[in-house]
Amino acid sequence: MKLTAHYNKAGIITTISVLLIGGLIYYIAIGFIANKQLDRDLTEEIDEVNQYIDLHHQLPKQVDFDEDHTTFESIGTKVLPRRYFDTLFYDIGEKRAESGRAVEGSIRFNNGNYKVVISESKEATEYLIQLILTITVLLAIILLSILFLVNRFVLTGLWKPFYQLLTQLKSFDISDRSKLIVSQSEVDEFRELNSAIMNMTTKAKSDFQNIKSFTENASHEMMTPLTVVTSKLDTLIQDEDLNSEQLTQITNIYTYINKMSRLNQALLLLVKIDNNLIKDHEEIDLSEALNDKILQFQELLNGKNLSLTQNLEHRDISTSRYLIDILLNNLLSNAIRHNPAGGEIDIILTNGQLVIKNTGQPEALNSEAIFDRFHKGKQSEGTGMGLTLVKNICEYYDFDIRYEYIHERHCFIIQF
Amino acid sequence: MDKVSIYNYDCILLDLGLPDGEGFELLKYLKSIHKNEGVLILSARNAIDDKVRGLNNGADDYLIKPFHLSELKARVESIYRRKTFNGDKVLNYDQITIDLVGREVTVNNKPIILTRKEYDLLMYFIANKGKRVSRNAIAEHLWGDEIDMADNFDFIYTHIKNLRKKIADMTDKDYIKSIYGVGYKFL
Repeated sequence: MKLTAHYNKAGIITTISVLLIGGLIYYIAIGFIANKQLDRDLTEEIDEVNQYIDLHHQLPKQVDFDEDHTTFESIGTKVLPRRYFDTLFYDIGEKRAESGRAVEGSIRFNNGNYKVVISESKEATEYLIQLILTITVLLAIILLSILFLVNRFVLTGLWKPFYQLLTQLKSFDISDRSKLIVSQSEVDEFRELNSAIMNMTTKAKSDFQNIKSFTENASHEMMTPLTVVTSKLDTLIQDEDLNSEQLTQITNIYTYINKMSRLNQALLLLVKIDNNLIKDHEEIDLSEALNDKILQFQELLNGKNLSLTQNLEHRDISTSRYLIDILLNNLLSNAIRHNPAGGEIDIILTNGQLVIKNTGQPEALNSEAIFDRFHKGKQSEGTGMGLTLVKNICEYYDFDIRYEYIHERHCFIIQF
Repeated sequence: MDKVSIYNYDCILLDLGLPDGEGFELLKYLKSIHKNEGVLILSARNAIDDKVRGLNNGADDYLIKPFHLSELKARVESIYRRKTFNGDKVLNYDQITIDLVGREVTVNNKPIILTRKEYDLLMYFIANKGKRVSRNAIAEHLWGDEIDMADNFDFIYTHIKNLRKKIADMTDKDYIKSIYGVGYKFL
C-alpha cells in the first residue's frame, strides 16, 4: 500500500471514529438536556393544574392541544410519587404516534386523590438530533475530502524527494563508479536521509572497488608464485639424475598446481558473476555453440567410446559467449567424466529448454547439494566448482536449472 | 621504459601485473614509438576483455599464469619466427621440414599427413627440442583452457603414439623419447 493510501486510511479511520463518538456524545447530551427541559415544562404544567384547582375548585378539562395531553383518573386515597417517563405521544393534528415525555403525579381534589398524567411531544428534540446527525455526516464528508486532497497534493509534493531517492536506489549498481544524484529537499529529514544514503553508497562503492581490486590482485599475486613453482619444476625435471619415482611425484605436483589455478579462476569468475561484472552480451546461436563444443570434445567422447545423440533445434540466446562456453564446458565435461566407458549422452535443445542426459552411477544424486560450492562426488577429480558456476550462470541470466534422475539417466535441464 | 626505447629486443615479455603501473601503458608506448618487437603478454587475468585489449593494442600473444616454461618457449619461438623469417616460411629440424604457411610436414623429403593436434604437438616439441617436457604441459598446450582434461593423459599418449609412428614410417630415427613418470623429450 502506498504512503498516501496509508495516510488516507488513518485519516478516514480517525475522522470517522472521532465524528461517531462525537455524534454519540452529542446525541446523549442533547437528549439529556432536552429531557430536563421537558421535565421542567411538565412540572410547570402540574403546578398550573394545582393552581387551577385552587382557583376554580374543579378539575380542568382534559385538554388535548398539539403540545400536551392531560388526563385525570380517580385513585381514591392513594398518593402517587411524581415520576417522569418516556412514552408515545399521539399527535391528533397529524394523526400519528410520536415519541413523547410524560409526567405522572397525584393531586388532591374534593377529598379524593386523582392521578394526573401530562404528556408532551418530543418531536422538536428529534428534529434537533436529526439536524446534528446531518451536520456531522456533512462534516465527515468535508473533512475526508480535505484530507484526501491534502494527501494527494501536499503529501505527494512533500514526499517527492523520497520517491526520487527510491528510484535511484532501485537502480543502484554497486559496480557502477558514477555517484548517486539526489535532489535537494526543504525537509530536514529528507536532507539527512539524502546525505546518509550518499555516504553509505559512496562507502559501499569504494569498499566494493577495494574488494574487487583486492580479489583481482590476490589472484594475480597467487598466480605468479604458481608460475614460478611450475617453472622451477620444469627446470627440475631436466635433471638426468632424477629417478622415475621422483618424476612421478613431480607430475603429481603439476596436477595439483593445475587444480589450484583452476579453482582460483573459478572463484574469481563466481565473484564476477555474483557482482554482475560480466556484461558482454551478444546474440548466440546455442545450437551452433553446442555443435562446436561437441566437436571440441569429440576426441574425449571417442576415447571413452561414448555414443552421443543430439537433437538440436535453432535457438538464439542473448548472453556472454564466454559464460555460455563455460556453462557448456562444465556440463559436457561432467557428462563425459562421470560416464562409464561405452556409455551414452543425449543432448536435446528445443526452443524452451536444453537437456543433457548421461548414463553413470546407477543412483540419483542429491539434486540440491550438487550445485553447492565444493560439493563433489566421491570419485570426482574436479574442483567442486563446476556445477556451482553452471548454476550461477543460469541464475545470472534467469534461466532455471534443475537435476533429475530419469530412466537411469542423469539429466540436467535448463529452461530459458 | 628507458630500456625498451634504447635497445632493440627480439621479443618482449610484458607482465600485466608490473607494480609500477599498468602494463597496457607500456604496450601503448611501445607501439607509439613504432617498435617492431614481438610482445607476449603474461597475465594472471583470465578475462576476455583484457585479452582482447592486449591483442588490439598490438601484443602478439597472451599467456595466462600459471604456465609451463615449455609453453612460454613455444610461444616465444612462434612470435620470433613470425617477426624474423619474413621471406622464408620453412622450418628445418634435422630430417624434418615444415612449411609453416601450408602446414605441411616432410620427413626425409617424404610428406606425412598430420592432424591439427599432431602438428601442434610437433611444433611444440621442436620449440622445446632436447628438453624434457611434462605430460601436464603437453595436455595444457593441446587443450588449453577449453577443456579441463589436463589430468587425463590417455589422449596425449594416443597423439604421441600416432605422431611417433608417422615420423618413424619415414625414418629410422626415433625422435620422441619417453621419460618414465613425467613426460617426453624430443631429440
